[in-house]
Amino acid sequence: MSTSLDSIDVIDHAAGLAPGDPLHAARRFRQKVVEATQASHDALLLQPVDGLSPADRLRVAAHVCTLAGAASLEQHYADRLADAPDRDEPSSPALPAMLAFAAKLTTDPRLGDRAAIDALKRAGLGDAAIVALAQLVAFLSYQLRVVAGLKAMRAGQEGTR
Amino acid sequence: MIRRNGFTDETLEWQSWLEPVQPAEATPLQLEVLDESHPQSRTSPYYLTLAHQPLMLRHRSAAYNAIMYAPGGLPRAERELGAMVVSVTNGCVYCTSVHAQRFEQLAKRSDTVEQVFDDPRMAGTTEREKAIARFAIAVTERPQALAAEDIAPLRAIGLSDEEIIDLLHAVAIFGWANRLMQNLGEPVPPF
Repeated sequence: MSTSLDSIDVIDHAAGLAPGDPLHAARRFRQKVVEATQASHDALLLQPVDGLSPADRLRVAAHVCTLAGAASLEQHYADRLADAPDRDEPSSPALPAMLAFAAKLTTDPRLGDRAAIDALKRAGLGDAAIVALAQLVAFLSYQLRVVAGLKAMRAGQEGTR
Repeated sequence: MIRRNGFTDETLEWQSWLEPVQPAEATPLQLEVLDESHPQSRTSPYYLTLAHQPLMLRHRSAAYNAIMYAPGGLPRAERELGAMVVSVTNGCVYCTSVHAQRFEQLAKRSDTVEQVFDDPRMAGTTEREKAIARFAIAVTERPQALAAEDIAPLRAIGLSDEEIIDLLHAVAIFGWANRLMQNLGEPVPPF
């Protein structure tokens, strides 16, 4: 993985930034943030987790982006799912519970309660899988906001040129 | 000490709805990542819960620490203001208490904290603070509707692209942090 000045990462891609754009360069003022954000994305999708397959994580991610109206990221996760080695394996019987948890977490963080965690446990998820799922969904709330903010900045710059 | 609308700047405890990793049973990698994450993480139920996925925690902490603590760019008190406004907007009592304290330590005053607890939409002792608070709410509540008009007030108070991105990062990562704090456990009463 490269995040140097002439490369683009998932956030650049989703926000429509290319090397040479002022905002592409401005993001690299915080190179550590750029690298850790991409590394989070990669670990959240690919780090092996018992009971939480990479394909199901991509299904959750695409669903979250659909709910949030984050079209370019939704496309990113849908594309990743189409290329996932385990895309044709059956999804987990716990997937409906995962999607329900992700929907609540995404639309209003206040909706979280112990009952939502217990529902995931009843669906068969262990604590380590629940942490991975919560980290993924919470990360997406961050990622889609960074993308949306960069798009708004880009819109302002194009308007003044 | 400030207590308003269910929020406080007192130090709160947080309890997990999962089984936190026990430090005595943690792997070397889990201990290494805990120590990278926060000075008190080995006694923190929050970090010990996240330690179930050490590599995910490692990259989260690297992002978080760079966003909130790195020198230069947007002053740290203003990143904390953004974090506090988001936490109040999301109703995260625990995160609000932590970042109200951090703001008070950095800014050496608490008038803005009282205003944010009263009503984050109206908060800000200066035009600069008001612009930061309004942007934090807009990013939190309507990310897909963000537009050039939401950026213009930040330009008007003199923020550069790099400083606006610092604020965007600080505000966005509390979308992440609040959701973990509010969905994996809860602050311990009384508060």
